Amino acid sequence: MYATVGDRIIIKGHHLGEPDRDCEVIEVQGEDGTPPYRVRWDDSGHECLFFPGSDASVQNFDHARS
Amino acid sequence: MRAIDAVRRSGIGVGPDRTIRDAALLMEEAGVGSLAIIEGDRLVGIVTDRDLVRRGLARGLPADARVDGVMSAPVVTISADADLHDAFGIFRTHALRRLAVVRGEQFVGTITIDDLLIDLTADLADLARPIAAEVLFSHRDSGPLVTT
Repeated sequence: MYATVGDRIIIKGHHLGEPDRDCEVIEVQGEDGTPPYRVRWDDSGHECLFFPGSDASVQNFDHARS
Repeated sequence: MRAIDAVRRSGIGVGPDRTIRDAALLMEEAGVGSLAIIEGDRLVGIVTDRDLVRRGLARGLPADARVDGVMSAPVVTISADADLHDAFGIFRTHALRRLAVVRGEQFVGTITIDDLLIDLTADLADLARPIAAEVLFSHRDSGPLVTT
């Protein structure tokens, strides 16, 4: 996975009816956009390190606008 | 198959000085049942929702107590590039439901027994499908009965 600051990470729900979750990348700690990422959760504003699994995908806003 | 290939769920990491309230909120917000406790680049512990209840709530710890006070340490780990069968061996010999996956001392994810069981069930269903079809529909392959 590759991400840049400002990207949004979408985590798919694991159970039937569980909503997808998302957070914003505020720091990339790996080399060349690789994990781990420091992220911020919208609802609480809490920050943590994020280690993506196969349930996560990156929504890159620059690419989305073009 | 490597251990890292079996990591299905994203991992969440926090510093050891975060509060147990923060830990609980992050578990809720991220939809996870455990957090990696990371100091610098190093994995120093794992805290689960069960730890928060048994070592936090049950002992009357305040919500602003440090999360490293309720974490499990040292952590049983498996190398990201290890064969997945090594993980089965660890689950067989340790009372664990989650296994931290590392590269060196750096946490990269978690393998859970639940996810392994779901994968195995899917594999078994794939293997059973042709056998079930043969058992259920074998008469279609038979030729007509011939009487003399």
